[in-house]
Amino acid sequence: MTFQLNKLFIKGFKAMLPITTGVIPFGMVMGSVSAEAKLTLFQSTAMNLMLYAGAAQLAAVDLMKKNTAFAVVVVTAVVINLRFLLYSAAISPMLQRTSFFKKLICAHGLTDQTYAVMSAHQSQLKSPAETITFFLGASACMFLAWQASVLVGFLFGNFAPESLALDYAVPLSFVALVVPTLKNKKYVLVAVFSSIVSVLLTSVPYRLGLIITALLSIVFAVFLTRKKKVSS
Amino acid sequence: MIDSAYLWQCLVLIALGTIAIRFSIIAVSERVVITERTKEIFSFIPAAIVPALIAPSVFFHKGSAAIVMGKERLIVLLVATVISFLTRSTLLTIALGLLGLYLMRFF
Repeated sequence: MTFQLNKLFIKGFKAMLPITTGVIPFGMVMGSVSAEAKLTLFQSTAMNLMLYAGAAQLAAVDLMKKNTAFAVVVVTAVVINLRFLLYSAAISPMLQRTSFFKKLICAHGLTDQTYAVMSAHQSQLKSPAETITFFLGASACMFLAWQASVLVGFLFGNFAPESLALDYAVPLSFVALVVPTLKNKKYVLVAVFSSIVSVLLTSVPYRLGLIITALLSIVFAVFLTRKKKVSS
Repeated sequence: MIDSAYLWQCLVLIALGTIAIRFSIIAVSERVVITERTKEIFSFIPAAIVPALIAPSVFFHKGSAAIVMGKERLIVLLVATVISFLTRSTLLTIALGLLGLYLMRFF
């Protein structure tokens, strides 16, 4: 049993490896932005460990650099992270009857990438315990890749030439994550709806457009999958 | 230079808010029954949020390939979507996507 679970941990770790090609450039950008904003190595590392949320960190450092009001910095970063509420809901059925500590570790490990890798593999994982072991493996890989790449970015700045456009690996990796979850036409419709609405709402301040788009898309999914009443 | 007290205040509050969000539903789930219908809706979450994370930045990106009016990132992303659908491979999607972007700029 333990052997089986260890294999699943490694399977999760390996499933995350290709995704890190999208994470590493993003982490290096994050590291170099922190260095540019004159954060100390300790501050940058502490932020990475405590927040562990790239998009929110990037926004927070950018706002703090401009001496933005304290409340605006906090609310913006937290709002960007509101999407984790959905991931917390998605992983919660797998974590029933586990220890508080394990729950906390899994909660902190929830990211766009680890959540997506877990849901992409969910059909191959037989039980909640298997899913969590797989998820912890994926999280370990993600955590190492993120911490290491931010450190490299912080220490060496943007050494990759801009012409390589490595930042484009971020959207590409998101495509590779979401496509396998589109199980039928309804999922494709929701994804197309989400793309269009997010582009329309792009000028909504504080990145609230992202949250509004997600909520509208879920409402759209509820509408698409509603049970039709039998007409008599 | 960012003031140290201000930075730590921001970081600690964002960290507390973030772990509260991540832990929220996990913490209460044993007292809440999750129905099949709810699970079905949850399965739509990636489709609902991931496109919104990438679409605006790619759609509004000003590129340099004249033949597609600087919209090479958008076009390559659509091609990458097809590649991902056909191969289901993350590495191929990223590698061919980046290669496609370089080719578009070359022409």
